[in-house]
Amino acid sequence: MSSPISYFFSCVFVIIAHGAMLFNAFQNGNYESVNDVITLCAAVIGLDAAYFIVMPFFKQRTYAVDFMLLLILNMSNIFQSCFGGVHLDLKHFITCIAALVSCRIGCIACRNHRWIQDKKKFVWVGIGVLMVVIFLFCGSRSMWIDLGFMTIQPSEFIKPLLVLACAASISEQQNKHKVLCFNVVYENLILFGIVAAVILFQWWCRDLGSIPTFAAIYASGFLLRICYPKAKFSKKTLIIAGSCVAVAGIVAVILAPPYVKDRLFVDIWSDPDGNGYQQSKALIGIAEGGWFGKGPGEGFLHNVFAYESDIVFATISEEWGLLYALMTVLMLLVIVAMPLVNPPRSYYHATMCAGVCAAFTVQMALNIFGSCNMIPFTGVTLPFISAGGSSMVTSGLMIGMIAAAQSPVFKNPKPKKSRKQAKRRTS
Amino acid sequence: MESMNLVLCAAAAAALDICALVLILASYSERRSERKAWSKISADMELADQNRSYALECDEILIGRHASADIRLPDMSVSRYHAMLNVTDGKWTITDIGSKSGIYVNGVHVQHVRLYDNDIITLGNRRLIFRKRRERN
Repeated sequence: MSSPISYFFSCVFVIIAHGAMLFNAFQNGNYESVNDVITLCAAVIGLDAAYFIVMPFFKQRTYAVDFMLLLILNMSNIFQSCFGGVHLDLKHFITCIAALVSCRIGCIACRNHRWIQDKKKFVWVGIGVLMVVIFLFCGSRSMWIDLGFMTIQPSEFIKPLLVLACAASISEQQNKHKVLCFNVVYENLILFGIVAAVILFQWWCRDLGSIPTFAAIYASGFLLRICYPKAKFSKKTLIIAGSCVAVAGIVAVILAPPYVKDRLFVDIWSDPDGNGYQQSKALIGIAEGGWFGKGPGEGFLHNVFAYESDIVFATISEEWGLLYALMTVLMLLVIVAMPLVNPPRSYYHATMCAGVCAAFTVQMALNIFGSCNMIPFTGVTLPFISAGGSSMVTSGLMIGMIAAAQSPVFKNPKPKKSRKQAKRRTS
Repeated sequence: MESMNLVLCAAAAAALDICALVLILASYSERRSERKAWSKISADMELADQNRSYALECDEILIGRHASADIRLPDMSVSRYHAMLNVTDGKWTITDIGSKSGIYVNGVHVQHVRLYDNDIITLGNRRLIFRKRRERN
């Protein structure tokens, strides 16, 4: 277990960081009553304290990822609560707690890579079930399922499952089979089939923004597989795979629907009230915010559609300043870079961490560069910072995977009892 | 008021920076404790030949001639992908993964066997000793 002194100082500095933000919101923020600020402070500091007390009960050897996650989640909580006026955003606060819970679940489930590797068929089935759910309840009509009191985006839940599927595929690399004149690993074919199906499905559902994330997860798994010694990967295969990806990319751009092509080549300043509305407003917001921002709750971007999700980077820049927005991004990069400090001890965990890192980096790049008009606007969420329950829960699960790789368990799963043995014992 | 705003923003940003730094330092200190935990899991063993020793820092280690092998033995008598070392609960095993010259542990030809302290592993013309890790000066 990590030393109590380091644990104590981590707790203190997380509270100081949140305290400084809350004091800034109190001094410079736009609020109607001080009670709004007090409620926000109580929620943030209360969640910090509760997590510090609960964390040691999960007997881990490392806690840095958990502290980092808590730091980011409560930062996000403060940001979201300050947009358009300081008051606690209860919905976002609840989703933050859900993200912390899902992080714990992800961590516990993935600590023993041999156990989770054994469950890979359930992972495949999980992806299949989610695709059926999308087919039946979402399709090309909408990306969300409306349950009345909340909406769920099922495609988000495919991301952590895909990370696990990619990581699990690495164990079977030495089992090559001769098919015609090719040496084939069945596991790789299954994984490729799953990824192709997921990407085509997302295309059909018009959720094109999440395709790069799925592709990045698969690509990271693919690259790690090349580095995996047992795979005996040849340069020829790598060149063929690279060429196939390039051809697929060109074909995708040619066959893209008209509304996608519009976004690819849109000039936002010639159409500031149409296709370029959100991006032009986001850029104006970032420019007006400057380095130190207008002050929490003082911006105008909260009047623009998707200010709390798709252009959240611009909204933070406007109210808190570009410096703070960039530091938020830095925090996200630090949390996914934690495996560099404390490297994983198994290929499974290494592949899992690479998949999570790829997914987070691509999502961050799409969101930030998209809202700054450096790439086409996709509407992808910024992990943990954007509002949205499905995104928060899946991001929490994925960070839980990184936490699992930091304090792994190496135990063989219990052998499965055959039915005959079980019957004999009962009789 | 404008300067107050600036100072508070800078202070909040500095607090965040320091917090991130503290957490990164905490992560480094955890790395030390994690190393200790790993030496317990791996029974603090290493592989050594005449010239050098190889740390066993992963639960699955490939020995072979290929550049991508975790322990690379550049010798034509060693297959490109020769043997795999695995650890569970402090018990190390070695498995032949289709080598041409096979694996000999203490002179006995094996396919898959548990390793003990001071076992001598022969892969082609190379002899390795599986032993407790020694502190380097």
